Amino acid sequence: MSPAPRDHGVLIGTMGLEDDARVDFTRLRAERRAKVLAGMQTHGIDALMLGGVGNARYVSGARQLGRAGVLPFAPVAVVVGKTGRTHLLSTWDEGVPPEIGRDDLYALKWNPANLADELAEIPGLREAQRVGTDGLNPMFAELISQRVTRAELTDAAPAMEAARRTKTADEITCLEVASAMAEAALAAMEDALTPGITERELLGVYYEAVASLGAPIAPSESVCFAVPSDGPVRFRHLASERAIRDGELVVLAPGALYAGYQAGLARTRVAGRVMSSAAMDLASRCARGMDALVAACRAGSTGADLYRAWENTGEQASVVPLAHGLGLGAEPPLIGLGRGRTARLDEGMVLCVQSWVTQDGVGACLERATLRIGGAGPEVLTRYRRP
Amino acid sequence: MRRERFAKLQHQIDAHGIDGLVLMASSSVAYATGAAMPAQDGDQAALFRPVAVVAEGDSAPHLYTLHAGGVPAELPADHVHEPLFPDLDDGIDQFAAALADHFSSGARLGVDDQTHAMLRRLTDFEWIDAGAVMGAAKIVKTPDEVACIRNAQWLNELAMADTLATLRPGVRQTDLSAVFLRRAIELGAYANGIDPIWQVMAPTRDANPWTLHGDLAYPTVTTDRFLREGDVIWVDAGITWEGYASDYGRTWITSTDPEPDPKQQEHFRRWRTVVDAALEILKPGVTALQLGRAAIGANDGVRPWIEHFYLAHGVGTDSAEMPLIGTDLGEQFDERMIMQPGMVVVFEPVIWEDGAAGYRSEDIVAVTDTGWVKLSGSTYQPYGLSR
Repeated sequence: MSPAPRDHGVLIGTMGLEDDARVDFTRLRAERRAKVLAGMQTHGIDALMLGGVGNARYVSGARQLGRAGVLPFAPVAVVVGKTGRTHLLSTWDEGVPPEIGRDDLYALKWNPANLADELAEIPGLREAQRVGTDGLNPMFAELISQRVTRAELTDAAPAMEAARRTKTADEITCLEVASAMAEAALAAMEDALTPGITERELLGVYYEAVASLGAPIAPSESVCFAVPSDGPVRFRHLASERAIRDGELVVLAPGALYAGYQAGLARTRVAGRVMSSAAMDLASRCARGMDALVAACRAGSTGADLYRAWENTGEQASVVPLAHGLGLGAEPPLIGLGRGRTARLDEGMVLCVQSWVTQDGVGACLERATLRIGGAGPEVLTRYRRP
Repeated sequence: MRRERFAKLQHQIDAHGIDGLVLMASSSVAYATGAAMPAQDGDQAALFRPVAVVAEGDSAPHLYTLHAGGVPAELPADHVHEPLFPDLDDGIDQFAAALADHFSSGARLGVDDQTHAMLRRLTDFEWIDAGAVMGAAKIVKTPDEVACIRNAQWLNELAMADTLATLRPGVRQTDLSAVFLRRAIELGAYANGIDPIWQVMAPTRDANPWTLHGDLAYPTVTTDRFLREGDVIWVDAGITWEGYASDYGRTWITSTDPEPDPKQQEHFRRWRTVVDAALEILKPGVTALQLGRAAIGANDGVRPWIEHFYLAHGVGTDSAEMPLIGTDLGEQFDERMIMQPGMVVVFEPVIWEDGAAGYRSEDIVAVTDTGWVKLSGSTYQPYGLSR
């Protein structure tokens, strides 16, 4: 095969190409699997029993049904260190990558005791001494210890976070594809933004855009809100049915998922007329905050550096997170809201970074970007012009 | 509605002899508090999850949330708090302090999901599974809850009418998702619940995905697959309204002239006969086992549902909740599951004849004092009336 293309841009599409030029998903999964198995060895974990959407996807690479919200813990994927095999809760093999054999699947059960009995059949799980999980509840804690394994149930996070924290080249390409999808959704929303449209309608435009691109699952439905130009300004997550007024500032903040990888960006636009000079000043403050945060995202920095960069802009403490990890969905660290001062930033991590500034009587402005921490500094993956 | 739900939770807290509930999963938080939250995918939803705490004897639930705009108006200000981020060790002391505000050391608390940060730090309490408490409260709906489900279903069906109108050869599965999601949100759905399903059913079992049990695979995940002339697709989707889920299930035919052939019409009529046989006997006091037997009897002794599913399930703040009818929970379970006024039952039998695909739809009813009332619509296009 030819070396990697000099024009990286050819990779940023979703259709398979006959020369296999795009993401090599076999390699992507193999690299992830190797990192997980190495992490298990480092942390003395014999097996993993995972229920988190991102974790299950990371170890299995399976396309599973997307569902909104937090579900209670259930063992969706199992990795056994000794055999190196991944086992998956799936009654069928469609959507399951070829390295997970049919005999590695276990079936959906409504009776949790029956599910536990299926787990007990997984080779190597019963004998495991330490089993890492990414959550638990009293019911599964009891069922697992009574019917599956006597192993000590420990936290899978040291192994999983070590694997997921920095991204491989293929993972970065997936994040860039997701970025391009989010940009497309932002363009569609910006086109649709005229006085009289409602936030709900803009959310509909967003959904149509990402689904048309082949990615109908929203990382979040919190993708737009108008900011009142009088009275208190709040960051709002839920779309309202009020018509957006001429001259109002509107936050457009779409995200997208490609092969499970999440990217997002935000810009703030004015509905209808041209931006007032006061709004332009606000946009400049927002951009300054963003530039300061992005510049602070360097290998070796900590969360405290992001807090400091923000404070140095003269802005008040932010009521939204300054940054959090991205990959297969949202990931630690969370920096902001009082958390994450000691979080360390390493080369190869990907972050969602956001700048939110407000001005009574004018409104508010949000910028959000997805960036990779590169060896020579931050590399912003999302692109969109500023106002 | 929220007051009645809270009273039921308090009653169950007493009945189960516990001191309170700590709720972490989205549907439980929505039930206990009425909090609205943006629909978010797996790990995004988890990292930014709201938490509900219900203390025995209290007048209202405590809600810890980032989504201030989703807090019900009647919730007292001293019951609304800053978010807790239970997935992180950073700040878990705040969670411990919050619980200390409501419970004394050694309290018995129901919990639906636990992170390892909680397992490490919140060790002062006796944790029991919240499943029984939540299940007992949720299984019977108040008239207001039934009205919410009916409205969610109505919005879902309206959006599907517009989606079906776009179905023709060459449309992709994700194109249907794009139309559906946009319309559902525009019409007033609060959020999408699952990645909409448009599974193409091959005429024979062997030509459908391989399964562990040899029965049909359903539902498989939507892709950008082209839909082609004659493709029979089993549709399934769910949105939420006021926290309550809809459940839309129908069989469609992809064609420029979607007219079911006589065999397909026969399958539809058989499906109708099976549902009608169950509805014929449905009233308070009837057991799930009797309903299952009536359905099997109407299908000439053949179980008219897929091995890993059920004849019927309930719906509420979860898309599938009790009462479950015909699952691997077993006949004794079904015999003890007695229909009561206010239960909501989603019948989704499957008719299958190898070589001719088959038919699947979903009918939703609420059990009344004397029988039942239908909550879902009664059109089954393109099946039903022949031209």
